[in-house]
Amino acid sequence: MKTKPHIIGIGLLLVIVFGLLSWRVFYLQYCRADTYLAQSYEGTHAHVPDLPQRGRIMDSRGRVLAASNKVLTVFIDPSQLPHWDDVMETACLLQPILEIPAPNICDIVHEKIRLSYVPIKTGITEQERRAIRQARLKGVGIESKWERYIPMEQLTSHIVGFIGGADDPSSPDKVGLAGIERRYDSLLRGSKGQRVLIVDARRFPIGSDPQRTVEVKNGSSLVLTIDGTIQEFARSALIKQYADYQAESAIAIVMNPWNGAILALVSLPDYNPSEFSKADPDTMRNRALTDPFEPGSIFKPIVAAIALDGGFVGYDEQIYCENGNYAKYRIGEWAGHSFGNLTPKEILTQSSNIGMAKIGQKMGRKNLYEGLRMFGFGARTGIDLPAENPGLLKPTADWSSYTVTRIPYGHEINVTTIQIIRAFAILANGGSPVMPHLVRSVTDEKGVVEQMAKKSNLAGQLIKPEVAHWVVREALTNVVKEGTGQQAALEKWEAFGKTGTANIAVNGQYDTTNYTASFVGGAPAKNPAVVVLVSIRKPNKALGKGYSGGRVAAPVFREIMQNTLTYIEKNQL
Amino acid sequence: MSRSRLIFVVFYFTVVLIGAVHLRVSASRVFYRWCKAQVAQDNLKLQLGDKQLKLEHLLNPSVISERIEKEPDPDK
Repeated sequence: MKTKPHIIGIGLLLVIVFGLLSWRVFYLQYCRADTYLAQSYEGTHAHVPDLPQRGRIMDSRGRVLAASNKVLTVFIDPSQLPHWDDVMETACLLQPILEIPAPNICDIVHEKIRLSYVPIKTGITEQERRAIRQARLKGVGIESKWERYIPMEQLTSHIVGFIGGADDPSSPDKVGLAGIERRYDSLLRGSKGQRVLIVDARRFPIGSDPQRTVEVKNGSSLVLTIDGTIQEFARSALIKQYADYQAESAIAIVMNPWNGAILALVSLPDYNPSEFSKADPDTMRNRALTDPFEPGSIFKPIVAAIALDGGFVGYDEQIYCENGNYAKYRIGEWAGHSFGNLTPKEILTQSSNIGMAKIGQKMGRKNLYEGLRMFGFGARTGIDLPAENPGLLKPTADWSSYTVTRIPYGHEINVTTIQIIRAFAILANGGSPVMPHLVRSVTDEKGVVEQMAKKSNLAGQLIKPEVAHWVVREALTNVVKEGTGQQAALEKWEAFGKTGTANIAVNGQYDTTNYTASFVGGAPAKNPAVVVLVSIRKPNKALGKGYSGGRVAAPVFREIMQNTLTYIEKNQL
Repeated sequence: MSRSRLIFVVFYFTVVLIGAVHLRVSASRVFYRWCKAQVAQDNLKLQLGDKQLKLEHLLNPSVISERIEKEPDPDK
């Protein structure tokens, strides 16, 4: 049987056609499968990024120090409005809603006509948002962004800090750049999420894809040890004196001596963290941590405590103070005073440099150095704020023959105010080491505590309790009663403390016109509730109002202490 | 198959089909309304947060201090 040629031809054609079709199906289903699957997926799914809400920072009484909230911005996309007439028409429709004259809107768009995002108004109200949505204007969109608010502004600027652009320029997130915002950035930030929605042909959501959805995790919140009211007491008292004495800078710190919790920390000059880009960089330094200085006489009680604890000097031991001129070591007394034999208590009360120099000599280099290291000088305290300076305590190999006589009255050593107040907290609590800290607890977005601050009392006893009690209750209360710190005396409570008027070294020489006036102490002496440090750098001596710690810093201490103790008592804190 | 049975099968099949489509459309509509409600809830939360922050600003200790200083002393 002979097959007709045209049937064979048709058969071959069909084979070729079906072969080609099969190849096409194979090509589409296998070779290009990923592309078409992706296209199909894109057409039926929408990805909505979810940026986390940054955690709140609150003070110890729950007042908000920093919080994030969404801000709505109306923008125009000029690429969607090809003709200028369209822009004018849109501007005319936006005018009554946003209460911005249409010509102004046109001007804004005209300036950035080549961009696809021209913000018109930031911070629109809910009514404005609804009106814009209802108007369904072409080329007009509403964008929402998290904005950080710092309600207390200057009051807590150096504690809270601020956030700004990320290091990675492609990232839209803001990161903490200073203060607590920086130190706890990873906790506060949270993590991004992404909602995956199934959409219809008009891109309206009709379902969700839970398997591909990544839940957003809002940042944790922080409860600080800072109390906004005490912070205000400290700042208002300090700022008055800072202005009256035309000082270069000033610091005030209030600390709980029993656990190292910082209740207030003020560094002047300060800045508004909401407008940090306009601030002078010099005002942004938290001087309590970043600026070490020679402490002067406020250092004396610490060395005296170490000497008494080590048995290098007795409580009633008479120390000859060379009648005001220790010529061999070129040491004189403050304001030309002259003393003969003094006990350690009298040395602290009269703030005798020579008496302290002799205590230093009795201790010797090694014991003095080790004692100061034990108190944490020359090392960071570990406070939870960035940029802490460790200060400078030279190793004994670098000491000159004078050093052992200088350090006991606060020269030839650089310390930060946070190190000094910690040392006084140790004296006030009976000799237990404490770590200064600012965070009391970490909570989730609903306020449930996730973790408490680590136990801040460190193990051990730095000095014997009887020594610490003697220094605080005998010697330093006497400084306030009869000595250089009489202006720190409180009406209702017994205060203790020490004044300091330290020369400022410039180019290796002590400047005789500029001083750092300080006072550090606490109250009530028998069971101290708080310790307070006040340090005012370069009060203007030319004003003739005084420049000593007793004159400049002690009244600030008194005001802060009086207000704080009254507040604590009334609120039973 | 008798005619009545065929009609019943076709009718039943059509009802099931229409029911399925209706349920699907309803689910989409409910989901869309849920999305809208969630956006509205978020907006309310934001408004509340905004008001709380304004209140915090008005009640913060430094603002209160300023106001106390500005207020005239009743004894004078």
